[in-house]
Amino acid sequence: MGTKTHTSPVAHPETELALHGLWRVVVIDDPVNIMSYFVLVFRKVFGFDEPTARKHMMEVHEKGRSVVWTGLREKAEAYTFTLHQWHLTAIIEPDEASHGS
Amino acid sequence: MKRIEVRLSLEIVAPLLDVIKSVADALHEKLAAPLDIGEVDADMREFWRDELIGAQNVDIAKLMALFDKEFFANGVVGFDADNAEPVVRACAALRLRLREENLKSLPDELLETSEVEVEELPQPVRKYFMGYLFLATLQELIIQHLDTLGEGDDDDDVEDEDGEDSEADENEKN
Repeated sequence: MGTKTHTSPVAHPETELALHGLWRVVVIDDPVNIMSYFVLVFRKVFGFDEPTARKHMMEVHEKGRSVVWTGLREKAEAYTFTLHQWHLTAIIEPDEASHGS
Repeated sequence: MKRIEVRLSLEIVAPLLDVIKSVADALHEKLAAPLDIGEVDADMREFWRDELIGAQNVDIAKLMALFDKEFFANGVVGFDADNAEPVVRACAALRLRLREENLKSLPDELLETSEVEVEELPQPVRKYFMGYLFLATLQELIIQHLDTLGEGDDDDDVEDEDGEDSEADENEKN
């Protein structure tokens, strides 16, 4: 009887959760970009209306960061890339509520 | 295509172009800001970086193209739907680079408020800071008109801009 190689998938619950949980796009404050520029970028990238864009801009300015979008990882990465094209400091991070602790 | 022309002070802006050009050259193979993505793997990070540098170079080329023969003849630079956003982004890139490399001696709080006594700055910091302010002025000016530029009619507007103050003169000459 020959040896069989089994290639059955191995479950990695943590990886599954990390891939399929929600991710946040966070914009971090910087001392260089002007306020109207932040507002412009938020409007262009996320399609926010002016008051929403201004709210996020103020949050960045006053609290140092603002969660501008939450959703699936792939789209979060695409948004973060676009924000980097606009030279804003942006990161993606797991949404704690959806990823558990 | 809607186009807005802005007349800049040649006397003020032309001397700053050396600074702008040197910073633009320094960014040819470098990102304006350090790449801090968060939880992204190494391959993705490399791809991401290369794509960003490519896009940054395209934007900076559009900014530098503003300062052509027409600019040196009469101080006029023109914006339309094709170059407005790239130029705004290029200004951001150059300002970030100026802060990282040339304006390290100025605290971030001062850069953020721009409350700096320019006359008291030593050279070449003064020149770098003037370039930094000029790029912000250009950004403000374009951002004010971006919605108009996207409307797509064929009107041309010409504004005078002193190239130094962050508040644009609103003297439109249609």
